[in-house]
Amino acid sequence: MTDLLAWLAEPLQYAFMTRGLLAALIVGTVCQVLGAYVVLRGMAFFGDALAHIILPGVAVAYLLGWPLGVGALIAGILAAVGIGALSQRREIKEDTAMGVIFAGAFALGIALLSTQRSYAVDLSHILFGNLLGVSTGDLWLMGGLAALVILLVVAFYKEFLVLSFDPVLAVTLRLPVTFLKNLLLVLIAVVIVTSLQAVGVALVLAMLVTPAASAYLLTRRLPAMMALGAALGAAGAVIGLYLSYYWNLASGPAIVLTETVLFFVVLLFGPSRGLLWRRRAATA
Amino acid sequence: MSARRWVGTVLMALLLPMAGCTGLPAQTPPTETTPKVLHPIALGPGERLRVLATTSIVADVVAAVGGTRVEVSALVPPGVDPHAFEPTPQDARSVAEAQVVFENGLGLEAFLGDLVQSAGTGAPVVSVSVGIEPLRAGNPAAEGETAARAEWDPHVWLDPQNVILWTQAIEAALTALDPPGAADYAQAAEDYRLELRALDTEVEAILAAIPEGQRRLVTDHEEFAYFARRYGFEIVGAVIPAPSAAAEPSARELAALEDAIRSTGVQAVFVSSVVTPALARQLAEDTGIQLVSLYTHSLSDNSGPAPSYLALMRLNARLIAEALAG
Repeated sequence: MTDLLAWLAEPLQYAFMTRGLLAALIVGTVCQVLGAYVVLRGMAFFGDALAHIILPGVAVAYLLGWPLGVGALIAGILAAVGIGALSQRREIKEDTAMGVIFAGAFALGIALLSTQRSYAVDLSHILFGNLLGVSTGDLWLMGGLAALVILLVVAFYKEFLVLSFDPVLAVTLRLPVTFLKNLLLVLIAVVIVTSLQAVGVALVLAMLVTPAASAYLLTRRLPAMMALGAALGAAGAVIGLYLSYYWNLASGPAIVLTETVLFFVVLLFGPSRGLLWRRRAATA
Repeated sequence: MSARRWVGTVLMALLLPMAGCTGLPAQTPPTETTPKVLHPIALGPGERLRVLATTSIVADVVAAVGGTRVEVSALVPPGVDPHAFEPTPQDARSVAEAQVVFENGLGLEAFLGDLVQSAGTGAPVVSVSVGIEPLRAGNPAAEGETAARAEWDPHVWLDPQNVILWTQAIEAALTALDPPGAADYAQAAEDYRLELRALDTEVEAILAAIPEGQRRLVTDHEEFAYFARRYGFEIVGAVIPAPSAAAEPSARELAALEDAIRSTGVQAVFVSSVVTPALARQLAEDTGIQLVSLYTHSLSDNSGPAPSYLALMRLNARLIAEALAG
């Protein structure tokens, strides 16, 4: 037991690990508040696209010497509103439009960064995250954005609920559907920006979708799904960070892999919908 | 998902991380030990030898030896990290137009092989580090796995004695390419070597202010081995424990460095002007030590504090002495 405690305590004597752990916890939980909506509304591709579309914003901030989060936030909100507007039109299917913008914006981001000519190191931080380099300032920014997201989700909880489960009812109830949809997109963008430092553009989708997908296997009630997702997200973040410390792995991928393993464990052994139990029930 | 897409996805997942790690470890000893056979280039009247140097530091030394007979430009612009440099098509053109390319060698210019090939140039690539006994990168005490991944430490120029060897290699190469200039090159090289010897003495004098017990260095990556050997410093560790800044420390390596800083009482971490110092800054804050920026891989531009190699070494020596002598 004392061994386990020592094992748990060793990384925490270093300030950078404590900050990394706090950042991972913030990301692991807050992503799930929106992850539930992303999974329920089938917006996984949108999430991935949005994460990549943020890159030019990050690049511009990097070139101008601003905090990267500010550039990402501006680009993310613009992209969310832009995609929202595009998806109202009928000429192009929504996922096609997203595909075009996603790839174009990502290329623009890399092209902008390549003017720096020694960009490989910073680009890899943006793509894969740098949990060890989280500063106290980053933590405050992440915490502030997370609080804002949770506050707005609580405030618009009923509206989002109706919108996600019964869009027709939402129109009948004369809810401001377009506004709500855009608000949801913007909130997802904010959450993605919050997660950038931890897992990077390339893996941020996992933080949004994977724990929510696990939670969806366990419950269909939205509040329970959010809570379970947050618990799984936080567990994955903490376990992943410890594994990265003791096994010398990059921290972002370690967290994402842990979330993925948790998903498959739930998929196989989940109490009611687990594949294993279903197989057994079928043969019995 | 079809099998082909699956393979594609896996390949991508494997390839993407490679974007971050340029520069494969050299498996064989460096080829720099044997000078190249160079053939004279016929230059028209008033025509100068077109020389391309990889870094601004190499360019500065080549210009000192070449004088007015050569026209030197640097490939890697000031303020850019040569380890992580990504050439553009314009750079391939510069290579194609050059009559000779001078590189530091020892794995510093990971980009150069492909660039020379794509430029399709017949110009010889000359390593200025010919004749320097290279140090192995990484912990010299490490055996087994680390030692097997033989990699050389390219940061030879931080010891002026090595730059004296550079001037000999440069003088020999320029003389072979442009025999009529032999006397000019010999004279300029000899003059510059005098300056380098004076620099060496001056740096030693500046660093003498640091007491014996405080002659310890923590740097952003492993770049000060030659400097430490020349001026009697002990390397405590590096934020990125690799000879290139284009690598990442693991959490444990960072933790071990924090422990080492606390146990040895080092007062400062020195970072190169060309790298983003985010991790080093965090480390300095967490351990309560100073963060000092040095010019190690690139000169500053002409209006900056280190416009030449000689100015760069003096500046670094002063900054190190100020940080560690206190």
